[in-house]
Amino acid sequence: MFGSITLRLAAVYTAVFALAVAAIGAGAIAATHAALVQQLDRRLSTEADAIAADYAEGGRQGLLDELEERRGAPGELSFGVQTVAGAPVAGPLARLNAPAGLSAATLVAGGRRHELRLLSRDLPGGYRLLAGGDTAILKELTRDMTAGFALAFVAVIVVGAGGGLAFSRQVGERLSAISGTAEAIIDGDLSRRIPVVRAGDDLARLALTINRMLDRIQALMESFRQVSSDVAHDLRTPLSRLRQKLEQVTLETADKERRSHLESALEDVDALLSLFAAVLRIAQMEAGAGRSVFRRADLAELAHTVFEAYRPSAEELGKTLALEAAAPGLVEGDPELLVQLMANLIENALAHTPPGARIVLAVQTGARAVSLSVRDDGPGVPSGERGRIFDRFYRLERSRSSPGSGLGLALVAAIGQLHRAQVQAIDARPGLEVRVTLPAAV
Amino acid sequence: MKLLLVEDDLQAADYLGRALSDAGHQVRHAPDGREGLLLAGGGQAYDVIVLDRMLPGVDGVTLLRTLRSAGVATPVILLTAVDSVEDRVEGLEAGADDYLAKPFAVAELLARLNALARRPPPREAKTELKVGDLHMDLLKRSVTRAGARVDLQPREFRLLEYLMRNAGRVVTRAMLLEAVWNFRFDPQTNIIESHMSRLRGKVDRGHGAEMIRTVRYAGYILSEPS
Repeated sequence: MFGSITLRLAAVYTAVFALAVAAIGAGAIAATHAALVQQLDRRLSTEADAIAADYAEGGRQGLLDELEERRGAPGELSFGVQTVAGAPVAGPLARLNAPAGLSAATLVAGGRRHELRLLSRDLPGGYRLLAGGDTAILKELTRDMTAGFALAFVAVIVVGAGGGLAFSRQVGERLSAISGTAEAIIDGDLSRRIPVVRAGDDLARLALTINRMLDRIQALMESFRQVSSDVAHDLRTPLSRLRQKLEQVTLETADKERRSHLESALEDVDALLSLFAAVLRIAQMEAGAGRSVFRRADLAELAHTVFEAYRPSAEELGKTLALEAAAPGLVEGDPELLVQLMANLIENALAHTPPGARIVLAVQTGARAVSLSVRDDGPGVPSGERGRIFDRFYRLERSRSSPGSGLGLALVAAIGQLHRAQVQAIDARPGLEVRVTLPAAV
Repeated sequence: MKLLLVEDDLQAADYLGRALSDAGHQVRHAPDGREGLLLAGGGQAYDVIVLDRMLPGVDGVTLLRTLRSAGVATPVILLTAVDSVEDRVEGLEAGADDYLAKPFAVAELLARLNALARRPPPREAKTELKVGDLHMDLLKRSVTRAGARVDLQPREFRLLEYLMRNAGRVVTRAMLLEAVWNFRFDPQTNIIESHMSRLRGKVDRGHGAEMIRTVRYAGYILSEPS
């Protein structure tokens, strides 16, 4: 769930909002409570002042009349008079015991408990006036407010989570459009672009920027490819002429020693020409050329042909070549290129293993993919270099002196890419395994 | 044999023309597609047409299609600068009999010309091949040399069959790779040599005279022992 940045953002924002609601609620309730208590205290004090004034005017009887008058409905203020010593004189609160000033008290009347805010004031003549206000309303108000804020808290979480999910899905769809485009480009389709929906927002602007970057990369790749194939192509013409002239001179030369020098020069020219041809083929395949002739091919059958072609040579080199291909492995592809891929892998294994090595060509057929692998039990490739063996002209330090163009595995990678296959170099413990996994034909 | 060479690169045409003449062929050169079409469709019959794919004006493939639709069945070998599967498929579909990527060794072209010119008509399906005391029964898939049975693997049988069909002519490694294995790339390993040495062991061992010989820098030849 937290693998999605939008979902994570939505969750964090929801939590922050919910906490803010809780804090605002708590603050509001506390402030309201304090204000109401203050208001009650003021009323108590005002009433007590009024009663004290009446007492000063009307004496004890005036005081009692005043109390009788104020015996009101529940929720209203109530009063009581007692002697300074605590003996009750009159009023519902006459029996309460209270310190001077403001305090809290509990009155049990008519079988019900009342929480009171109490003001006690001594009057001249040895009397003490008690004024109390019921705090039940205050409590009710606090409870109602708490319930209200709790509801708001829950609502914030629900709306936040729902909104976050919707937001995340919408952003997620647009992000997956971006990653889908990137995948297609990794797959070799440099012409793919991110679809721009809802022009003007920041994701759309990002998409436009990435698309412009892709335009630039495609232009660069095309010019690079153009330049390298132009170079390879333009060099082929003079090289071909050179080859012709060398061949002509060779055919005309009777002197044996000279002739053998010329023949070896001819071989070098041929090696150069085949190098350029390989560079051109790789460039063509990287551009995706050749998929138009794809047809259904059985990798197991092709592997059998390649295995059978190479077995005698492997034996002459003192190595064992084995085939593991039990079931047909149907793929869509170019059989000629697939054969060349297998041949290059076998030749690579033959070139980099000591005599006595065992090389296995295997085809494994799964429901969705067919994998083709060549593994050997030779010295293998150090893990740090394993990823680079498919690079053009890349050669291990120890192989620099051995023959080969350094393009065999690059061609394997290019053929694999053309077939939308995954090409991996794996540690075969000991030795190297190169595995090419192609999508199975449907 | 009589050859028509349609090639716009004059330097290459000059060299090829000379090499082909040196090998005993009569060569007529056409520098562009239009002239090539005129010559190929004219009264003169050629044994093989060597046709460059890229030509100014009428290109090689168009020329070939035109010839084939006009009923000219002369074998055509298409020369091309680009060796891609797509191009080859297009060339063969247009009616080419063989396809050779530039640059190539003259020996390769000569061997292929020979193979093309003497290719038997398709309906003449043979059931038996015979070179000297070597017999091949194509129905029973069996081979005998001087009456003695020669046991061959299926691929060795096809290798020998190709050599026998081209008996007396040089066949190149590339031709064998194409015909027997359907491989159209240049292996870095001597796979043909390995198979050939096994085949020779079976065909020639114990029979004084060798029938299969290596031709240096060209390929192999199977012929009656002289």
